[in-house]
Formats: sequence, C-alpha cells, structure tokens
Amino acid sequence: MTLEPVQTHCPYCALQCAMTLTPSADQVEGGSAVEVAPRPVPSVQGGATSAGGLCHKGWTSAAVLRVPDRITEPLVRSASGVLEPSSWEDALAFIATRVAALQGAHGNDSIGVFGGGGLTNEKAYQLGKFTRTVLRSKHIDYNGRFCMSSAAAAGNRAFGIDRGMPFRVTDLGSADAILLLGSNVADTMPPFVQHLAGVRSRGGLIVVDPRRTATAALTDGDGQSPGGLHLQALPGTDQTLLLGLLHLVVAEGLADEQYLAARVNGWDDVRRSVALWWPERVAATTGVAESSLRRAVQILAAASPARGGNGAMILSGRGAEQHTDGTDTVTAAINLSLALGLPGRPASGYGCLTGQGNGQGGREHGQKADQLPGYRMIDDPSARAHVAAVWGVDPDSLPGKGVPAVELLGKLGGEVKALFVHGANVVVSAPDALAVRRRLESLDLLVVCDFVPSETAQLADVVLPVTQWAEEEGTMTNLEGRVLRRRKALDAPGQARSELDILAGLARALGSEVHFDTEPALVFDELARASAGGKADYSGLSHALLDAEEQGAGSGGHYWPAPVGSTGTPRLFARRFAHPDGRARMVAVSPGAPADDLRREAPVYLVTGRVLAQYQSGAQTRRVDALNAVAPAAFVELHPHLAKLHQIDDGDDVAVTSVRGTAIARARITTTIRTDTVFMPFHWAGDGMANAVTNDAVDPISGMPEFKVCAVSIARADLFVPPQPEEVLA
Amino acid sequence: MTAQSSAPEKIVVVGAGMVGHRFVDELVRNDRSGRFAIELVGAEEYEPYNRILLSEVLAGRADLRALGLPLPDADRVLFRRGVAVDEIDTDARELLLSDGTRSTYDRLVLATGARAFVPPLPGLAGPAGAPKHVHVLRTLDDTRNIAARAMNAKHAVVLGGGLLGLEAACGLRRRGVPVTVVDLDDHLMATQLDRGPSRMLAAQLRSLGIDVITSTSVAEVISAYDEIVAVRLTDDRLLAADLMLVSCGIRAESGLAARAGIAVERGIVVDEELRTSDPWVHAIGDCAQPPTGMTGLLAPGWNQADDLVALMLGREDLDPDAVGDDRPDPVKLKAVGVDLVTMGVRPSQALDDDRVLTVSDGGGNRHVDLVLRDGELVGVTCLGFPDVSAALTLAYDRRTPLPADPLALLVPAGAQGGVAATVSPMRMPGSTTVCRCSAVTKKQIVSAWEQGATTPDAIAGATRATTGCGGCKEVVCGLVDWLNASDPAAPAPSVDTPVTPRNTPVESTT
Repeated sequence: MTLEPVQTHCPYCALQCAMTLTPSADQVEGGSAVEVAPRPVPSVQGGATSAGGLCHKGWTSAAVLRVPDRITEPLVRSASGVLEPSSWEDALAFIATRVAALQGAHGNDSIGVFGGGGLTNEKAYQLGKFTRTVLRSKHIDYNGRFCMSSAAAAGNRAFGIDRGMPFRVTDLGSADAILLLGSNVADTMPPFVQHLAGVRSRGGLIVVDPRRTATAALTDGDGQSPGGLHLQALPGTDQTLLLGLLHLVVAEGLADEQYLAARVNGWDDVRRSVALWWPERVAATTGVAESSLRRAVQILAAASPARGGNGAMILSGRGAEQHTDGTDTVTAAINLSLALGLPGRPASGYGCLTGQGNGQGGREHGQKADQLPGYRMIDDPSARAHVAAVWGVDPDSLPGKGVPAVELLGKLGGEVKALFVHGANVVVSAPDALAVRRRLESLDLLVVCDFVPSETAQLADVVLPVTQWAEEEGTMTNLEGRVLRRRKALDAPGQARSELDILAGLARALGSEVHFDTEPALVFDELARASAGGKADYSGLSHALLDAEEQGAGSGGHYWPAPVGSTGTPRLFARRFAHPDGRARMVAVSPGAPADDLRREAPVYLVTGRVLAQYQSGAQTRRVDALNAVAPAAFVELHPHLAKLHQIDDGDDVAVTSVRGTAIARARITTTIRTDTVFMPFHWAGDGMANAVTNDAVDPISGMPEFKVCAVSIARADLFVPPQPEEVLA
Repeated sequence: MTAQSSAPEKIVVVGAGMVGHRFVDELVRNDRSGRFAIELVGAEEYEPYNRILLSEVLAGRADLRALGLPLPDADRVLFRRGVAVDEIDTDARELLLSDGTRSTYDRLVLATGARAFVPPLPGLAGPAGAPKHVHVLRTLDDTRNIAARAMNAKHAVVLGGGLLGLEAACGLRRRGVPVTVVDLDDHLMATQLDRGPSRMLAAQLRSLGIDVITSTSVAEVISAYDEIVAVRLTDDRLLAADLMLVSCGIRAESGLAARAGIAVERGIVVDEELRTSDPWVHAIGDCAQPPTGMTGLLAPGWNQADDLVALMLGREDLDPDAVGDDRPDPVKLKAVGVDLVTMGVRPSQALDDDRVLTVSDGGGNRHVDLVLRDGELVGVTCLGFPDVSAALTLAYDRRTPLPADPLALLVPAGAQGGVAATVSPMRMPGSTTVCRCSAVTKKQIVSAWEQGATTPDAIAGATRATTGCGGCKEVVCGLVDWLNASDPAAPAPSVDTPVTPRNTPVESTT
C-alpha cells in the first residue's frame, strides 16, 4: 500500500466534492486511516462542483472506514438465530444452495435484487448483469427509485433523455434567476451554495419550500445581495404553483413563442391547460400570495435570454418530486422552462438535483427494473440484442421488465422469496418502513452486502462485508452527468471484498458460464461497450482517459453522452433535443392531491427531509461521533402556534401518527415552518423513525413513493394514546 | 338496465361554458371504457374560454391567449361550436339545433349558464332597445366591445357595485377612463360585505379615482343619435356618460328548458342528483336551481359537474365528509390596487357563541374580520392585507389548525421568520454557530485564535470554518479582525478592514 496522497471524491452526495486522501502511517484500530482534505480542481478542468469545499460529512468521512462495528468477515445466521462468522466459500455456497432451491421450487423471479444509488457505475452495472444473466430474474430495482425516478420520467418524456443537469454546475454562477423547487441544498450539499452567490447578488434566487430552510433563508437580502424570494407553499401544491406561474407567463405575454414554434411540440395543449390556473385560484390553493406569484414570474422572465437576461434555471429536488403526482409536477416545471425558452440556452434550462452519490450513474446501467445498461429499455428487442451480445448470452434468455422498488418490496414474502440488498438500508429508508420490516422478516433468504451492521443487515440471513469508497477503484457520475474517478487509498480491513468479487464468486457458485470481470477498469470497459449507442453512452470513456484528465491533460471533464471518438457533452440541447424529431415535448398535466390528505383526525401535514450532519438512512453518519454531536437524534419541527395548541414545549417528546405508524421525537419549535405542517428528518431508526409514518403510495408513472406529504395527528408523547389495533383495521 | 349494450349511451351537453366544459372533461377522463358517446353543443363561435378572466382582459392584465381552455378530446367528443339548441323534444329525446339539424340523446345535460340581468330602465328598454355603448360583461365579445370603447370614452358609468361591477370599474380605470359606480344598495358588495369594510372599500376605490355613489340607481339612460350621452340618477343628478356597464346580477338561462315543459323557477329546478323534472335531463351550473340554492359562483358549478359525472358512472367515491366541501366558496375581488377576499360568515351573521375578531385600520385602508366557531375559521373578510389573504383562504378551506391566538393569523409568514438579523461578530453569543457546514461555533473560533490561528486561513485549517459553502467567510474575517484588534500582541489587521477601537468593551465570548 502506498502512502502517497490519493485524489478521489466524497463518499456521500451527488455533488461528489473533490478530496485528497492521505493514508496515515500508523493505522490503529478506531483511529483515522486516512487524512481527508478538500481538493480544488483547476478551472482548466472545468472546475469541481465543490469548488474546493467540503461539508462536515465530507470532512469526517474517513471515520466510517474504521468504525468499531465494521463488518470484516462474512456472517451467516446460525440455527440458533445468531449471525456468526463464516468463510467466504461457505457463505457463498450457502447462498447458492438456497437460491437454487428457491428458484427450483418457485421460478427464477422468486429472487429479488435491491440496489443502491451509492454504488459505483461498475458495481451497478455488474449487479444488473448478475440479476439478468445469473439469477435470470426480472426482479431488480434500487433505492434511486425513491429519489430520482419522477424527474427521470419527466425528463425522458420532455427531452428524450434523462441527465439530471443538462449543463455544468458551474453554469449556475452566470444565471440571473434560479427557481429551486423543494430542495434544501444548504443542508444536503452545502458546497453547492457557492454556485448560488451570483444569482443571489442579482436578487434572482427563488426557493419554494414549506419551511424557511437554510436554503430558503438565502433569499433574504443582506449587505451584498438582494437575495430573492421564498414561496412558502402548502405541502403537496408545488404543481399547482407551477401551473399558476405558467398561467401568468401566458397572461402577461412572456412566452417565447419563437422558440416554442421552432423547438417544442405540445405548446397549444399546455397553454390551454393552464387557463384554469389563474392567480387567485392558485394563491388560495397554495397559500402563496398573488403578488409573490407575479414577482416570481417577472424575475424568471427578465432573466430569460430571450428577453435579454443572462439566463434562468429551474431546479427541482425531492420536495417537489416525492409525490404521487411527482412526474407531472416535474413536467410542469419543464413546461415552464420551455415556455420561457430556457432549455439549451446559456445558463438556462431545467435540471434535477440528484441526491445520492451515484444517483445519476446508478440509474443508467441496469439497476432499474425496466432498463439495460446505457439507459436502454429492456423491452426493446434491439437493446436486448446489443446487451446480450456484450454479455455473451442469448437475448431470449434475458428476463423482461420487473417492477419498481415499492412494488418489489411489496412482493417480499409473496412472489419474491429471497432478496439481495446492495448499498441500501430499506428498513429505515423505505416508506411505511414498519411494513417493509415485516415483509423482510417473512423472506426465506435475505442477503445483505454492507460494511456496517445497518438495521437491514441485522435482519439478514447472510451478511457479506464489502469495501468502502476509499478502499476501491471505480467511477461515479455526479449530478451534472460528469463521470468521475473514485480511487483506492488503502486496503479494506479483514476479509471485506468488493461487490465485483462477490458477484463473480456467486456467479461461479451458481454454476453460471457468464464471465464477470473483477477488475474495475475492465468492468468499466465492458460497461462502455454495453452502453455504446444507448442514451447514456459511455463508450468513449475509460479509467485511463479519466485519469489522464485529472493529471492535467484536461478536457474540462467528461460528461455523457460520450460515444467512441468523443470526450463527452458538457451541455445538452443547444441545437436539438433527444427525441427523434429533435424537438422537446410538452405534456399538459393537472395536479393530484396527496394520497393521504388532511382530515379531522389527521389535520396536519408531515414533510420529511435531511439535516446537514447526517446522510440518508444514517447507516454511515450515525457512526461518526463528530456528526452525532451536532445531530444526535430525530426531532419534530413545528410552529409555536401548533405547539401551543397541543401544550408542547420545546424539547418535549412528540408523537407523530399516521394510519401506518407513529414516530416519537423531540419537539423543535420554530417559526420557520408553516403552522399546518410538521417536519421530521428521516435518518434515524427506532422510535424516531420518520418512515414509520410516511406513505408508500406511488406516482403511477415513475413508481416514486410519496415521502414528502401525508396527513398526521400530533400529540405530546406523555398524552399520546396509541391507536388500538382494531381501530387501525376499522 | 345494466346489461352490456353494444351502442354507447349518448350524452348531449348544451353549453360549452366553464361548467359544461368541466363536465365533459371529467366525463372523458373518468369514462375509460367508452360507455358514453358525448356531444357538446356551444352557442358561442369561440373555442371554450375562461370567463372568470374576462375582467382581467378588460383591465389589460391578461392576454386573450391565457383564456383558451383545453379543447375537448376530438376522439371522444363531438363538439358543435357556434350552434344553439332551439328546442328540446323530451318525448322523442331529440334536439332541434340552430343550424337546422336534429340530434337525439339518451341523456341531456343543460349547462346553459346565465345571462346578465338588465333592469327595464327608461332609455334602455324602449322599442329601439339600448343605445350604443351600453354593455353587459358576460362574453368575450362584450369584453372586446367595452375595451374598444374605453379607448375613446371620457366617462364610464357602472351600474351595480357587486363583484363584477367593481372588477370592471377597476379595469376601466386602469385603462385611464374616469369611472363612476352607481349602486342601489347603501353599500358596495352588499352580498358579501358588512357596512364597515364596505365603506373602507369605497374609500380605496375613490383613492384609485373611481367615484362611488350608493343608495342610488339610474333612473333614465339618455341618448342622442342612438348613442348614450348621460344617465339621470334617481336623485335627479345628471352624469355625462359615453360608456355604461350594466352589472346588476345574472338570471339563469332557462328559457329552453321552460319551453320544453321542464320545471323552472328562478332556474331549472333539479334534485340532489341534479335531475330536472324530466328524468333524462340534468342541469348544472348557473342555469340550475338545486335544493341548496343558487350562488352564481364557479366552484359550486364545478362541483356539480364532478358530482354528475360520478353519478352517471355509478361511482361511490363521493365523499360528503371531504374537508371544505360544505362551505361557501371564497370570493376574491380581482383588481389591481384592491385586495379583497371574503368567505363564509361575516360578523353581522355571526351566532352568539361565535368568536369575532376585527382589526380595522381606517388610515391604512385595511380591515379584517375573522369569525371562529368551535375552534374553526368559518368566516373571513380581508381587505388590504394581500400578504395574509392567501394563507387565510387556505386555513378556511382546508380547516388547518388555528393558532391559540387567532390574531396571529394576521402576521404574514415572512414576518414571523425566526432568522435573526446579522449581528456584529462582537455581540454574537459564543454558542452561535458561525459555520453551519462544519458546525463551528464562535467559541471554537475564538479558542482556535487563542491557540495561534490568527488569520482566516489558519482558522479554516484549525476549525474547518469557511471550507464548505463559504457563506460564513465574512463573519469569520470579521471575528478575526475583531480578535486581532483587541489584542496588542497580535499582528496588525489587514489594511482594508475597519479597525475596532481598542477601548471597545469585549463581551463575553461564552
């Protein structure tokens, strides 16, 4: 092992901040194995999304490498019900025997695979290949379904392609207006806020959020910048708000009719569809004052290049997307951007703020139930033929379309008897998580690959220890579609192995003839071939090319599509959209209501989200002392008016109850939230688990669950009477 | 009969206004099996449009293109535009259309709407009819004609101080036309407002340049060469007028039904299931007179359209308990410079046990009444509070929990924001988080400085403050300058930073 500094990227979110890891000379148990430092990337290379910054999570990321409960050997549940150490050979043989028996009795589709948006491109690719060629099961999906699927579906529908941001992150700095829909970047990807400095200085930041988050507070003016506008809409009304903004664009004659005629289909339908969303109606539905709606439209229109501005962007996050009408809500956002003539123009357009580290790449290479590598559709015969040829199998042997994540979890214990989980902690992160736990417990076989005993791993029959980010080579695709290298700084402890080794080993144990490389660079080369000609085409890229760029032979970053002979496409849509006719497609949409809506016995909305010092299900960050010191436990954020009604004081335990379950956490009383809404972060298991309460109703198009809104009742915990089971059933 | 028949049931909808359009849209959306064949007959030549926004067009605030409603799905709906229904033969279930053709129906839905009521005033109702430049505001043509006349008009009289009359008056004023509103009632918007807020509304209109005359009506319309030149009021005053808008309410368009022998009172009488006296004929919207009464508002008409679709499809998901269903809908005055929204019970209608809160600010032309019943908001009158009217409407509509002190409802959300204004680094308590990204407090920065980190870069190295989003750079620089200035041993602060005087008392940093 080398002690040279290694250039890589942060293990956490999709911003993939550049960092340098310097291995420590003395690696003691519990000590830091590597030193982490932020790494500025010269602008000749396009700059880094992090611009030399790191947040608390990134700075402390090395602590997870040597946590005391790190899993260092395979564990198999013994007859007495305890997870006990095992050899790799025995563990893999055990899995293979059980899988073969279950498939013999119940068919190939009785085995499910649940992937993650934190896996490298290489792992995500191998996982899809393994499921389709070794297990030959249609049942694969991943936790990215929880975060990216609605924006992906809407992007594909409108543009014919789904790249979260079709421009560089650094382009944000030139825009005159940015509309942020349901995204709290100041907490979820703090270094990103640097890219908002320009728009804030020009008074053009508009944030839609039911809470006055740290991001919404950026719209406050200060000495240097006029800031912008915070629209504190009622949860579940984002689409109505967007339709109202588009109505005003039409009413005030601000639509870019020339652009629409030249580049867009469907404008007439969409224009008519917003005739019914006049400002008074929208104000009464969203709670946002009419004057604010008008001002938002003026800011966006004035920033539009067609009207002489420097650029306007609309960016959506989970707050707007995680709804049963999330795909249509994103479509409404895209329609607004098209009406203003933004996509394809400088510092302009629509983008989605991807959440997980490889939430972008993770959805391109075959983890999705309906997709093959390169963003190819699994029911397209030519796509099947191409990928089958790369894999050396008969196209007819590939399974068909599976089902999206929530539906897959719903099949556990029924059609699906066994589940492999990679890079996910579903008993904390899935909606209606108590039900998910019950279903996991009913499985015949649960295999979890993880590096810590997450809540999901603790339920497993077999736990396989895997490498972490600093212990492996690979690539990640960040929120702007840029392919980045992840590099190894040190060896994994104990017997931990990469998933690439595990999948190859399992393929052998299951008697498969299909070849699985274990060297990440070779897997990437195969991925590149499999993606060639697909929408997410990586065929022009290789580890060597990506390495050369970072060593100074820079081209400004490699953004897909990067077909053979090209080094990538930083900005999309300048001349054409990805539909065959080159035009964007507008689709008229209409808002739905939350599936679990307000009623007398549940008069308050629950919204969920993240805090700065924790990440996703907390499996990693809850093991870091420095982060726990800042964010030690779940909490319930509520307005003093609401608190007073229920005799709740700051710090009291509060029970938040929906028809699915109850979460109990400390009250945090603040005037920054709406009076009709409570907020809980979703990083914790146990009593404070927000997802015990959330709804698993899904968007019919994307399959994305409605994490972001459900109706609840609240009570001070000592006054809380749990609903009786018979009441629940009635 | 529920047996599967091969031919779909034919539904003819008469009237392509906002309620007829909604009905057709809902029916197409929900009838996925194609059980119904749908025909929509509309007398206006235009494509269906949003009538609610005509006053916005008149005010020059909305482009005509913003009004066009989605066209009915041509695969599912036969849309006959510019065709009126002349007669209904209820025995044969057949319609005679104005283009001479006939059309049969299995079920008929009348959504004929309403027409503006024009009182029989001398000079208006004679054998020659109304003179030129006297208008009602009901259709796109009306709007165009009024807008065209407004280009040259020197003084407009609006008869009727209700919602539409006032919206039109504000619209005409916005086009530069001097306007007088004449209202027979002793106060404006008497249907929605008590006297107090109404007086304040009148004052606000006057400040916009709109004259308001109440307890008075027009006695005679005076014309010359068939053009209006003046009106004589009931108090014998003469007002010169070269444009007049009659806005005296609406009357249900029920003549067609009456001629067919269908029961008609003030409107076409329908039962709870929106059936007329003829079981094959339904009526919805402004033309219908349901047991709950006629409102002249859009939302009840839309609800009727939705309900009738559900009834026709035999759906049982009608939820009578759905939140907000049984409440009168909010009424909002759409006019630049006036923000007025009213809903539900007003103070003069409150019950003894109701809690009524009134905030009246005559000097600021602001007035709010809140009526609470059993802890719920059942009535709002909100004039001149644009920042809270949307939130109040939502609390009323969705019955969301109210604050223990309802007066708190009148504080705009932004004004409650708990984010403290930037304080000087010196005065900041030690526990204040300076750097959110790395959770660094002022106290930690001060102790890093005490251990020798006396430049912003050194502070960043020691605490990681400023290394995330960079938002705290200014505060950290300020802190370092303040600390350096307070300590004679420290290196001199950078030249371009104002130096804090030595004798400034240093506050506790803990």
